[in-house]
Amino acid sequence: MLQRLYIHNFKSFQNFELKTEGMHSSLLVGKNGVGKSSIAKALQVLQGIGRGVNRVGQLVSPRHFFMAQTGSPMRFELEVLLQGKLYRYSLALELPEKFKELRVLEERLELDGQPVFVREQAQVSLRKTREITGDALFMMDWHLIALPLIQVQSEIDPVHIFKTWLGQIVVIAPMPQLMTGESAEESLWPISNASNAVDWLAGLLGQYPAAYTVIDTYLKEVMPDLRDFKYESLGKESKRLVVQFQGENQFLPLYFDELSDGEKCFFLCAIIAAANRAYGPIFCFWDEPDNYLSLAEVGHFILYLRRAFEVQGQIMMTTHNEEAIRKFSNENTWLLGRKSHLEPTQLRLLGDLPSGSDVVQSLMLGELEL
Amino acid sequence: MSVNVYQPHVLVLPEDDANRQIANGFLFDASVKLRNIQVLVASGGWEKVRHSFINEHVEGLRKYPHRHLVLLIDFDGQGDARREHFLQHFPDDVVDRVFLLGTSSEPEPLRKSCGNSLEAIGKKLAAECYRDETVLWAHVLLAHNIPERQRLNAKVKSILF
Repeated sequence: MLQRLYIHNFKSFQNFELKTEGMHSSLLVGKNGVGKSSIAKALQVLQGIGRGVNRVGQLVSPRHFFMAQTGSPMRFELEVLLQGKLYRYSLALELPEKFKELRVLEERLELDGQPVFVREQAQVSLRKTREITGDALFMMDWHLIALPLIQVQSEIDPVHIFKTWLGQIVVIAPMPQLMTGESAEESLWPISNASNAVDWLAGLLGQYPAAYTVIDTYLKEVMPDLRDFKYESLGKESKRLVVQFQGENQFLPLYFDELSDGEKCFFLCAIIAAANRAYGPIFCFWDEPDNYLSLAEVGHFILYLRRAFEVQGQIMMTTHNEEAIRKFSNENTWLLGRKSHLEPTQLRLLGDLPSGSDVVQSLMLGELEL
Repeated sequence: MSVNVYQPHVLVLPEDDANRQIANGFLFDASVKLRNIQVLVASGGWEKVRHSFINEHVEGLRKYPHRHLVLLIDFDGQGDARREHFLQHFPDDVVDRVFLLGTSSEPEPLRKSCGNSLEAIGKKLAAECYRDETVLWAHVLLAHNIPERQRLNAKVKSILF
């Protein structure tokens, strides 16, 4: 479970700290341009590291420095509680003069306060374990992140556990038009526009077949005429998702592509809930989940997602939709603000602000100030 | 999809944002059937709840015989007087499907007393309804609801859980 995210000198963030200890679901609200989606960008940097992207230039560029302040390092820090142990990962990147690509200044992974590895520029020090006495020292290209490159010993290796969690972070801002029904591979790593949702579904059902029940149950709640869904083979390499509906005496198979944008989001919602149950805890960031949904659906959709993460995992959402806002409360709604494009993003919990009679009205009137 | 107005369902009309958060929490109990209950936009005061009930919801209750309505208000220390103030506007033909609940003062003292969030309080209240328990419901700020809760349970428990 993510306890703390710290971002410094990246996009609109300066000394930005988000504490999410004990929060299984939370909401980010605020005006356009305050940095809600930029949190997703920061999470994607960390997710990328977990998914094996090791080249610094593939994760961030000099344009990502806050106000082009390349003179001080860009920092990312995470504190995550996994299996009762606290993982703390920090990464500092810098852009020395005449460099075109950022390089690693510091990188560190700690488990319950004890270093797993420590890195300063090119020098990496892997701390001793029961099997290895004395630190293992080695050099690494300073444009490469160490975490993806460190060989893991087993599935209980802290590096493996942390990397797996990072890689399984879900950061999505779905574009249903890009969610095709064809799957050429199985994956547990959805990409941000969710265009590989059908690959994710195939990967999930391939490894965790029981997930079908969770998905089927939810989909039949929102689409009562759904009969089932299945993959149709398109040859050796790919398959196509077919969704079948039925009436009293009628039967209608539809290709996934033929579903509406909102119906595709129902599938995505079901997959996320099933994935969190099957191989979670997952941290999920969903940018504006209410997009594409009818007004009658928004509230239940948000509540279903919140409840799906209540037992394990975490979901963070952004929204401008008042019905979505009303499905959260003061202790799990963050207000983000920024005085201008030249100033950093700030945030406060609604519960820490002077209480208004109606949060939506206060947001509409711009009455809430940080 | 939203609640099915042709099937048994419950609408909750909260007085204000604090009551809305308690109602949200109620939906958080895993046993609650989300598709059978909907929390409406807060009215902005108990008088507005009464006004909204008379001018909008009575008609809705008559039109949809499977509808049940919970009015979630603050009693502001007025207890029986406020209850009477509402009851006189409950038409006989819908009175068995309307329920009046709320804190005897306001939600904030309840939150402080419990040391918990309003959402967490709502969730606990739902869990007690599901298990037929009366612990938090017996809190000094909530105990006056017990007869109404019994009436509510008898009518809507099978719809909600």
